[in-house]
Amino acid sequence: MEFRTWHSPRVKKRNNFKFTISVQATGHPYGVKDMVKTLTEAAEIIKYRELLRNLVIRDIKVRYKRSVMGFVWVMLNPLLMMLILYMVFSELFKVSTENYIAYLISGIILWNFFSQGTSTSIVSFTGNSNLIKKIYLPRAIFPLSVVISAMIHFIFSLVPLLIIFIITGTSLSSHIYILPAGVIFVVIFSFGISLIVSTLTVFFHDTKYIYEVLLMAWMWMTPIFYPESIVPQKFSFIFHLNPFYYFLNVFRASLYMDVPSLPEDLFYGFLFSFMALIAGWFFYNRYKDRVVYYL
Amino acid sequence: MNELMLKISSVSVKYRLIKEKRRTLQEYIIHRLKGKIIYYEDFWALKNINLEVHKGEALGIIGHNGAGKSTLLKVIAGVLKPTEGSVMVIGKIAPLIELGAGFDMELTGKENIYLNASILGLSRKEINGKFDRIVEFSELSDFIHSPLKSYSSGMVARLGFSIATEVDPDILIIDEVLAVGDEQFKKKCEERINGFKAKGITILFVSHGMIEVQRLCDKILWLDHGRSRMSGDPKSVTEEYQKA
Repeated sequence: MEFRTWHSPRVKKRNNFKFTISVQATGHPYGVKDMVKTLTEAAEIIKYRELLRNLVIRDIKVRYKRSVMGFVWVMLNPLLMMLILYMVFSELFKVSTENYIAYLISGIILWNFFSQGTSTSIVSFTGNSNLIKKIYLPRAIFPLSVVISAMIHFIFSLVPLLIIFIITGTSLSSHIYILPAGVIFVVIFSFGISLIVSTLTVFFHDTKYIYEVLLMAWMWMTPIFYPESIVPQKFSFIFHLNPFYYFLNVFRASLYMDVPSLPEDLFYGFLFSFMALIAGWFFYNRYKDRVVYYL
Repeated sequence: MNELMLKISSVSVKYRLIKEKRRTLQEYIIHRLKGKIIYYEDFWALKNINLEVHKGEALGIIGHNGAGKSTLLKVIAGVLKPTEGSVMVIGKIAPLIELGAGFDMELTGKENIYLNASILGLSRKEINGKFDRIVEFSELSDFIHSPLKSYSSGMVARLGFSIATEVDPDILIIDEVLAVGDEQFKKKCEERINGFKAKGITILFVSHGMIEVQRLCDKILWLDHGRSRMSGDPKSVTEEYQKA
């Protein structure tokens, strides 16, 4: 019979099967052509959207379903954390920060969204190794599902934030319509970072510990607990190099705060989040074929 | 001859074993900074494998542990890219997922059906359509709303088999899973496998059970240290295998 080779573009057209998988030997060259090829995986994620949905549902269910307190804890966690930090820092920063309590809780929940999302996703390849070694699926779907679940937890934690706003009589900003932009920036940014750290973890098992330390340093370099104004002018460039600084500004501006440089923050927020996505996507694609060998 | 479903041409897979054990980023960076060279040792898990499987055929893969059976299945499933050679697969592949791999013990049987079927690439609509048949074949309708951690391992295997076989694959990969489950269910699985062959579904079957292999397969590939030692009709290959 006639044999159709793998690289013939006619293979797909001539047979009416659902999938045609063709694999060929790989070296390690990585040119523009390979980069364009990575977009097929992006298309596959769309094809596997039901899996993405199920992974997110599983995450939410396992977290909340069989513990009555599960849901309550999601609400309580940022509130308690805020309370503690408030007790510690309020005397220090109350004078210099208008509405410190709103400043604090908005910073905490946005940071938790990012830090929990990325640090949970760090094991998304190693933790699903049984599956990855057996079945072909677009693997980027695992970190993506973790980031999406983190986003859903974040949306839940907007409830305690609103409660605090009502109690303190904080009125919502007229820029509330940019809230989705702020959230999407963090989702995209987190996904990019997740792709890098979860891929690295496959090759180096200590990535987790190193990332935790970096995350801690990052947190203190971001104006979450302290007002921006306490940092001397000559060091403020650190903020401007910090992507999270812009996300926080956008988020706080959309909620209650007057941020003078909002258009600039939106621009840099957009820029940094997409830069992280592109960097993460190509890093992951560069090494994804080798992942199986190390799992 | 039936249509070709799977063609493997001179496939080799090389594993790189790092001589010095260095799996931490910290050590890697230090070594890189010092300019040290990393020493690898090459290990060929598969060497020059050629294979053709046609529609409706059942291929058995046998060999001792470490002979490369799992590596070959990974190459076929598209999980692993071969170092050399090419693989052509036409149609949808469904591997029978090992116990626990695609399942979440905290979720109910029903939730696991949805999760697992979507792992195999099915859409929600397709799963809805197949759901009742999956439950029926697994004989687990009484437990379908209980979490999987309350299932026995045989029950989980039954559920897995039901899902993988209901997704209408073109190629079904069965890797040592029939060992679990009771005799009655095993028999039912074998019946179903024979039904598949009649329906034109291609089956790849890895097993250590020579009797099962002989009964189910049309041809057999014997792997030995990553090389194809012998291939051909089930009876002669298994006889040679048992002699060796």
